[in-house]
Amino acid sequence: MQQWNLDTYSPRETIMHRLPAMAKLVGAVGLVVAVSLWPRHWGWYLLIPTGLLLLVTVLGRVSMRFLCWRLLTLEPLVLGVAVLALFQPVGEGVGGGGWRLAGFLMARCTLCLVTMILLSNVTPFSELLLVFRRLRVPALLVTTLALMYRYLFVLVDEAQRMKRARQSRSFAATPARRAGPAVRLRHSLGSWRTLATVVSQLFVRASERAERIYAAMCARGWDADGGGVGGGGNAGTGRVP
Amino acid sequence: MIPALEVRDLHFRYPDGTAALNGVSFSVAAGECVGLIGPNGAGKTTLLWHLNGLLPERPVTEPDATVRVFGLPVAATNLPQIRRQVGLLFQDPNDQLFCPTVFEDVGFGPQQLGLSGPELRQRVAQALAQVGLQGYEKRAPHHLSGGEKRLVCLAGVLACEAGILVLDEPTSNLDPRSRRELKQLLRQMPMAKLIATHDLELVAELCTRVVLLDRGRIVAEGPTVPVLSDEALMLKHDLECPHILRHQHPH
Repeated sequence: MQQWNLDTYSPRETIMHRLPAMAKLVGAVGLVVAVSLWPRHWGWYLLIPTGLLLLVTVLGRVSMRFLCWRLLTLEPLVLGVAVLALFQPVGEGVGGGGWRLAGFLMARCTLCLVTMILLSNVTPFSELLLVFRRLRVPALLVTTLALMYRYLFVLVDEAQRMKRARQSRSFAATPARRAGPAVRLRHSLGSWRTLATVVSQLFVRASERAERIYAAMCARGWDADGGGVGGGGNAGTGRVP
Repeated sequence: MIPALEVRDLHFRYPDGTAALNGVSFSVAAGECVGLIGPNGAGKTTLLWHLNGLLPERPVTEPDATVRVFGLPVAATNLPQIRRQVGLLFQDPNDQLFCPTVFEDVGFGPQQLGLSGPELRQRVAQALAQVGLQGYEKRAPHHLSGGEKRLVCLAGVLACEAGILVLDEPTSNLDPRSRRELKQLLRQMPMAKLIATHDLELVAELCTRVVLLDRGRIVAEGPTVPVLSDEALMLKHDLECPHILRHQHPH
């Protein structure tokens, strides 16, 4: 049933995958910080981290097509930030005006996104959670991340099942191209209403599932005050197994 | 001899007023395999959740306890011991598999018991070997098939070395092969088992005794074959005599 994946390439065995998760995490965060603080007049030097990321892509055998698709889904957010930059006053001595600033911002954000996409695809998430624990990230946060990762797939599956169920009983034909605006608007409103119903149902189902998961955790001796998930709860001590 | 499980006059009402259990009483002896059958909405899952102390949400105090596990009352003060003894297998494996990897999930219960390091790894490997899933430690639950998920859930329960297995619809959504494998596994387990299911063939093959629950009441209880062969009783409670008993030979 599973057709959707967040980290398709993470279970592979390449030189990048074999590197310690801690080194990859520190490297990725370091790169993101460096790119975020990159001076504007060194714009062309952004080609250096770009080359580095390309190297990681090749060594980690991550498909370029996959990377581009994943970027495309996230790029609208970056675009939003870049468009806002168009209206920013530009300081003296900076040529190209707002366009240049917008392009620079877009390049920086895109590089940060690529870094994170690559990190998640050359490191299994469970290893990242272990690193978080070693870095003494609060146990509750690690537990939340572990549960979020685990149930993201279940929720997407559930949403897909609901979508299919809806489609199988959607008899209203899509309005023809020549249909009037009133017909189109009515159809569009109907679609949005159905979508809203599906989303609300998904929310209800997710909250019901959350209760059952909590029960399943308690059934195996989970202590709400101390235990953790992901990287080892160890009776509330938070130690890694 | 102290029964593995003893329920005496158990009543439960959901917050919306729905009466789910009305004076349920039964017991399961050590090593016995009992089938809990009944139509949808009979109260089977609600009853199972009481055995592990998941219901009522505010557990009763010791003198009021109506459920006892190896003589120990299911009360707020005893919940850790009770949950160690009662291994509960949930109806939907996705509810039970909440960790990012199989190793972490199977090791979750033992970790809560204080195990770590080589001891924990050994316990997990042992539990996975018991269900025939050696080498699955690093797999992510969302990459497993339905049958594998169910077996990992069972391994998670076995890793806690529970004294009683409480199984909620263990064969639902399983293909015949996975069902057959699970049945073989359950047959080999020596501990007491309470199996809530609609799979009456499974009950006929595994259980020595049956408890029939309907609308929160026990309407029949006794040895498997006489109860499941009573066609009038089965039909009255929206069930059917299993094929295996009608023809006296399995297909």
